[in-house]
Amino acid sequence: MKIKFIYKFLFAAVLALQLSACDNNTDADPKFDKTPTERINAQMAELKEALLSSPEGWKAVYFTDNTILGGYTHLFKFASDGTVEMASDFDESIDTQISEFSEYQIQLGSTVSLTFTTKNKIHFLSESDNYPIAALRAKGYLGDFQFLYYGQENGQIIFRANRNGQEIRFVKATKEDWDNLPKNFDMIPNVIGSSSRPLFRLLETNDGTTKHQFDFTFSPITRYATANSIETGYSVKFNFGVGYTPTGIVVNPGIQVGSQKLTDFVYNDADGSFTATGTNGATAVIKYSNKPLIITDDYKVMLQAPQTGFAYINANLATASSNSLLFNSLIAEIHASLPSTQKVNRIQFTFNDAFGESYITYSFTGGKTLIYHNFTVQEDAVNKKLILVPGTWQANTGAVIAEPALLKKVDAELMNPSGLYVKKETFKIAFTNTIYTFTSSTTNFRMTTYAFQ
Amino acid sequence: MKLIKYNKIAMLIMVSMTVISCAHDEQPGDSQLDYTQPVKTALDNWISTTYLNPYNINVQYKWNQNTVDNSRYLFPPTIDKVQPALEIVETIWLKSYSQIGGADFVKKIAPREIVLVGGVNLNSVGTRTLGIAEGGQRVTLFETDYIDQSDRTNVSEFIHTIQHEYIHILNQHKPFDEKSWAAITPSGYTSDWYNYEIPESNEIGFITSYARSNINEDFAETASMILIYSKAEYEAFLAGIQSPTALAALKAKEALVVKYFKEAYNMDFYALRDAAEINTSAVITN
Repeated sequence: MKIKFIYKFLFAAVLALQLSACDNNTDADPKFDKTPTERINAQMAELKEALLSSPEGWKAVYFTDNTILGGYTHLFKFASDGTVEMASDFDESIDTQISEFSEYQIQLGSTVSLTFTTKNKIHFLSESDNYPIAALRAKGYLGDFQFLYYGQENGQIIFRANRNGQEIRFVKATKEDWDNLPKNFDMIPNVIGSSSRPLFRLLETNDGTTKHQFDFTFSPITRYATANSIETGYSVKFNFGVGYTPTGIVVNPGIQVGSQKLTDFVYNDADGSFTATGTNGATAVIKYSNKPLIITDDYKVMLQAPQTGFAYINANLATASSNSLLFNSLIAEIHASLPSTQKVNRIQFTFNDAFGESYITYSFTGGKTLIYHNFTVQEDAVNKKLILVPGTWQANTGAVIAEPALLKKVDAELMNPSGLYVKKETFKIAFTNTIYTFTSSTTNFRMTTYAFQ
Repeated sequence: MKLIKYNKIAMLIMVSMTVISCAHDEQPGDSQLDYTQPVKTALDNWISTTYLNPYNINVQYKWNQNTVDNSRYLFPPTIDKVQPALEIVETIWLKSYSQIGGADFVKKIAPREIVLVGGVNLNSVGTRTLGIAEGGQRVTLFETDYIDQSDRTNVSEFIHTIQHEYIHILNQHKPFDEKSWAAITPSGYTSDWYNYEIPESNEIGFITSYARSNINEDFAETASMILIYSKAEYEAFLAGIQSPTALAALKAKEALVVKYFKEAYNMDFYALRDAAEINTSAVITN
């Protein structure tokens, strides 16, 4: 009997097996209607088709790492035979022959990827022994040339670098993009800043109602800018990479203004400013200013006794980076008018000496005698400016003399009726003396001095 | 009993039905993988006839992330630079060994793959890695974009890399007398070899500073430097060594290299050196 039961159960089991055996639907719940291979093949075909679809090719501003480096514009024109024509604004000197041909492949890495398989412009970013700063030694410009395909959006192709996942967007290029690429190089000096522009630069954001100001520094070698808030109690800072365009710059990450991120700045040659405009009156402007961002009370020690003294000493301060180019050129002009054996030695202020007098002493090397220019001190308390009101000129003998033509220009800057901004600097040069700078409020004049007290 | 018997028959029928019922399922079609060969360029064909067919060595010059160290900032060679670099490798290395070791020598003991990298492989300490031999199967040569055939020093450095890496491959096939070698200059090995000037290292019995990194590198450096020197140059080098112990050490190492080539591969090392010298001149004067 027992064996009979076993057969019965077996019978039932086989019957059940039979009824379900040929059910074709083995997938519990199909997520995709194609196999992985089919999907990968479709993706590869889709990428290839996209790359070939734009007649003038593609443009990408490649920010290899937007925490330390800026953007490098590349133009690509893909051909179906596996070659690609490329141009870049990586380096003006090597791009005289603007575009080059090399090979590309659509490879399968961790996902479908576009790889530039033989050397072209984009590989300049991945040259271990060509690095902009010591921190990037052996890392070049952190660039990659294998881009993982992440799909398409609004006609753009989205990639991520294989190495560090940085997003790269390919935008359809136009003929103008190719023709105008060299103009990116023309934009570089505008971003660096010109010595003929005012001495101070700032980033100003405006979300439509509130304005904020930030100091602005730019390193051309890394194409990287930093902007720190100058307002107390408002500690926002922006660090961003800069890419050059024929009309301005593009920054990454974007400048957060209100709820918007502004990235595209347009250059205005009239005042040297770069403006990014969002919606609802939001703007970010990088602009020049004659007025220091932070105006100090450091000039007040010069207004009354005790006596104070400050001197530009040519031997030690001629190369100070805090001198403006205008100042340096005025000194060079004086030197050019002097015999070759004579040079400016010092331009020294004495404020409020024992007799209550203030004067500038111009001294020279090579045996030329001293020249004094007396002045009286005034204050523009509202604008925190020091004004030197010119008095008589005297020779070393004490005799009153006419204004020496040699010193006319530099003296006119110091005696500017609009006044000078005075700043006690935090850096030192060669000696432990405190450094003070005297900056014109209307021109690009700035002189560096040692304080003697 | 009867019931069981019918059951048995019914069971058999059902089992066979289960087994055969799915046999009419779809048969696999063509592969979905793209197995079409990529279009070969003139350069690819040249590589096939010069390397792949005669020596069974594959050359990879197109970027493939799986054959390079992705943590390094490297780039593939410029297409125009590939053939000149490979011609140098062929003439100085493959031909020299074929002439002395026999036509089949490099076919048997050779890397199966040569990978070319255009850029410099700079290390964080400031040294440059010129080549890597991996497991006797693959040799990677760096800086192929910077080869200048009109510059003897430049070509020598590149050749030095090939010779050096090939010595590693030979060692990976048959080890050298490591015990005797280690006894010659046991105290000179150091991991910060790059902090020493070459003449300084010469005077304690090492042919280069890199030779001081360990005995394997020492052997490869000693053999490859002798191969890239001409006979006269090597004699002049030895004559310039001041320290008698250093000179004795260098000569002892040279003897071990010669012995290794004779015993392991039945090759006359000096004949190989002379062949390499002739082929080197041929490349540079070209």
